[in-house]
Amino acid sequence: MSDFQPILTEHIHQKECHTLSFYKSVGGYSALEKVLAMSADDVIELVKASNLRGRGGAGFPAGVKWSFIPQDGEKPKYLINNADESEPGTFKDRLLINKTPHQILEGMIVASYAIGCNTAFIYIRGEFFKEYQLLEKVVAEAYEENLLGKGILGSDYDLDVVIHRGAGAYICGEETGLIESLEGKRGWPRIKPPFPAIEGYLKCPTVVNNVETLSNLPHIINRGPEWFKSIGPEKGPGPKLFCVSGNVNRPGVFEEPMGIPLKDLIFDLAGGIKDGNELKAVFPGGSSSAILTAEEALSVNMDFDSLAEINTMLGSAGVIVMDEKVDMVQACLNIARFYAHESCGQCTPCREGTAWLSKILSRIASGDGNSNDIDMILEITDNIGGLIDFSKGSFGKTICPFGEAVAWPVRSFVEKFENDFRQYISQEESVA
Amino acid sequence: MPLLKIDNAELEVESGITVLQAATANGIEIPHYCYHPALETVGSCRMCIVQIEGMPKLQVSCNTFVGEAPPDKKIDEKYDMVVHTQTELVKQERKNVLEFLLLNHPLDCPVCDQAGECFLQDYAFKFGNAHSRFEEEKRVRPSEYLGSQIVINQNRCIMCTRCVRFTRQISGTGELFVQKRGYDFKISALEDQPLDNLLAGNVTDICPVGALLSTDYIHKNRIWNLHEQPSVCQDCSVGCNINVFYQKDRIFRVSPRENHDANGYFICDIGRYGFHRFEEIERVTSPMRRDEDELTEIQWDEAIKVVAKNLSDAKEKIVFVASPFHTNETNFMLGRFQKGFFGALPLIEEEGITYPSGFCINGDRSPNHRGMNDVCPSILEDMASEIDQQNIKVMYILDDGVDRELDQEWKEILMKMDFVVVQSYALTEVAESAHIILPGLAPFEREGTVTNDQGRVQWLRPSLPLKGKARPDWRIIMEVVNTMGQQELSYSDVGEVLAEMGKCFPAYKGVSLFRLGDYGLSINGKVESS
Repeated sequence: MSDFQPILTEHIHQKECHTLSFYKSVGGYSALEKVLAMSADDVIELVKASNLRGRGGAGFPAGVKWSFIPQDGEKPKYLINNADESEPGTFKDRLLINKTPHQILEGMIVASYAIGCNTAFIYIRGEFFKEYQLLEKVVAEAYEENLLGKGILGSDYDLDVVIHRGAGAYICGEETGLIESLEGKRGWPRIKPPFPAIEGYLKCPTVVNNVETLSNLPHIINRGPEWFKSIGPEKGPGPKLFCVSGNVNRPGVFEEPMGIPLKDLIFDLAGGIKDGNELKAVFPGGSSSAILTAEEALSVNMDFDSLAEINTMLGSAGVIVMDEKVDMVQACLNIARFYAHESCGQCTPCREGTAWLSKILSRIASGDGNSNDIDMILEITDNIGGLIDFSKGSFGKTICPFGEAVAWPVRSFVEKFENDFRQYISQEESVA
Repeated sequence: MPLLKIDNAELEVESGITVLQAATANGIEIPHYCYHPALETVGSCRMCIVQIEGMPKLQVSCNTFVGEAPPDKKIDEKYDMVVHTQTELVKQERKNVLEFLLLNHPLDCPVCDQAGECFLQDYAFKFGNAHSRFEEEKRVRPSEYLGSQIVINQNRCIMCTRCVRFTRQISGTGELFVQKRGYDFKISALEDQPLDNLLAGNVTDICPVGALLSTDYIHKNRIWNLHEQPSVCQDCSVGCNINVFYQKDRIFRVSPRENHDANGYFICDIGRYGFHRFEEIERVTSPMRRDEDELTEIQWDEAIKVVAKNLSDAKEKIVFVASPFHTNETNFMLGRFQKGFFGALPLIEEEGITYPSGFCINGDRSPNHRGMNDVCPSILEDMASEIDQQNIKVMYILDDGVDRELDQEWKEILMKMDFVVVQSYALTEVAESAHIILPGLAPFEREGTVTNDQGRVQWLRPSLPLKGKARPDWRIIMEVVNTMGQQELSYSDVGEVLAEMGKCFPAYKGVSLFRLGDYGLSINGKVESS
């Protein structure tokens, strides 16, 4: 077992840990008091210095994102808390919302203060209905205690928080798709530029941060950036919630320092592979990340840069573990179908390509594959999402990263487990 | 100004425009579907990708802006941006996008109305692959009516969403939307609000493929059989620029022609389908004389002589009725009659509409009201009382045409006349009251200039041949004037009349058909009669 003392989830096993009184009893909202005495610029600099990187998937430095907000404009600025957790294999934000909602809210107020925003939103996944109800209560509590509203804690800073429920589209987790949806439109990602920091919600400067990213803020304020950087690799440090699911004995959310070996996560924390089976493959960061072979999984560390080095990503840290019994063709088909179903349909390559992939894969799975299919799948994935070579930059071919999100896993399945696919095809060919 | 290099062309362009705009303005072709200059950019078709030096990914040129680079970031020490549109990478990427677009396309060009002017067809030929790798079942959906005159062939749709954006940003009516998601997408109209606004027809023009079709044109002809005549719409005083597509003596289609000083990119459906109302009317194709209650055909010589004699006998007790439906040249020629009063019938007005995008349909439904006032000698404000006071019994009317309905007052005025000459192309109410009818030309047969409500003079060009013995209206008047012996006019074509008009009205000085060209000239603020 790990000896790491959890930070974000330290109190989640306590009774009533979601209440304001409990949160305050463990030092909650002390960071807010500190922040209100600081200048907004100082808060941004402090967060920049901590090297906190976004926990939603892209891993963009949070402080840098904030600093893109123009400070002199006349338009109002907005903060959106992205609680549309919908990446398959990811369930960390739900835990944070259920157990530590005030920690999230405090983070939101800190971030809002830093970017000079007076209205912040929580965009919560439609399926999280209980969590939505809880957040409504939490926000009401915060208003009562003057943690929200006019003149927060006696300062001259005002902030309102509005909770908005999504309607169940995966793509609304993409920040510009989310903004469109929040505006009441179809959740179609916007072409960039302009980036949300310049023209986001209602064409006003907007920052979209993930639930977990925001949850880190109170701790960074309280304990300082140097402390934060001391946890895990310096370039992408901090505590991290890893969601482990699939064929393991003890699936769950584990808070560990960035950079923990994936092997430890699977075999130590999650109790190893079920039924004593052999490990076959792992998604390190949700179903959008390129899949790892057992060999790769046993040697990689779970942080942004280590995973990027082997052409996959930390993503949302949704670790999906597959053992030797998993049929890779069926698993790949499952992934492809999911993405074909969730593609918003705006961009040509993604709309047509995802459906094409899933048609080919389902043909292979039903035994009608032919030997050209493998190469064709690889070409199609390249045409949707571009090459998976981080050193050359990601060759994105669509408005949002959804194209890559389907291309990378599918390509990695076929590339790394080609024999599994060939078996399906050769069976058929030998029958014929 | 930033210095841009696209392939081998060095271009100085305005800061802030896109690579696609810079290329298009300089005659460099970058294929695209979803981008339309009148609509907000969505960048979704991915066809307009280009390679830009210093950028790792291919970029969509519709959303890549050209700006000044700092001195140390200039490429080759002078270029602010270097763009390649013909590299292998770009060519391959176009092939890829086209492959995706054609996966589920029915490839039914032989029966598709868009064939010949289809960007999917053109780009596929130019940039695509000759064969498909797609072995799966195609997506097949039935066609649907989006409005009473607009049909969508869902199978041909490439989801560029130009039509949806049009109804949101141009007409502001918002009838269209994308239904379902991803691969199952479908362009639909709201159940209780079909696509029936007065700009609806434009979606068939901006659709880059054969998905959106007008029921008015569907399966009627092939585009390569049709002649395309640039002209001007005559259904309101905006003077939208149009292309008239015709074959022999029949018009098949009218579509907008881009002119940023008049209509922009679009036209309304009144003008688009307006040509049909001239198709079924009873034409007058020969001069006619009223004997008792019957109209009988007579020869031109005789008709002109009778008219000339009656006008001469009336001395100055004549009213010449000008028409805002006729060209400047015809109205100007009417002014060559030296004795008499000049008047016009009341305006034909309906409700004008201005759309959120600024596109407007003028309530004044005559094409040349401004021009008529410019080139006719002082038109009487209150023609009716003048007729009574002066006891006028002779009238020479340029007929407004089929759109004119006579009110009771005018019916009574005409009843009082001893001699009425009507120059018309049809047996309209006005023509029915005539003693002599001189057959002129219908709207799509006329040539001349018209001046729109903004003071822009435009060249009205004919698309249909003359019918029967009909003659150009300005020429008829010239012959009557000459026969009366007052003057000896000898213009051989509209251009000469226009030149003469320029001598009399300084605003029109120097205006020639050649100078008007396709887009016209503004004479705003210059009008005063000599």
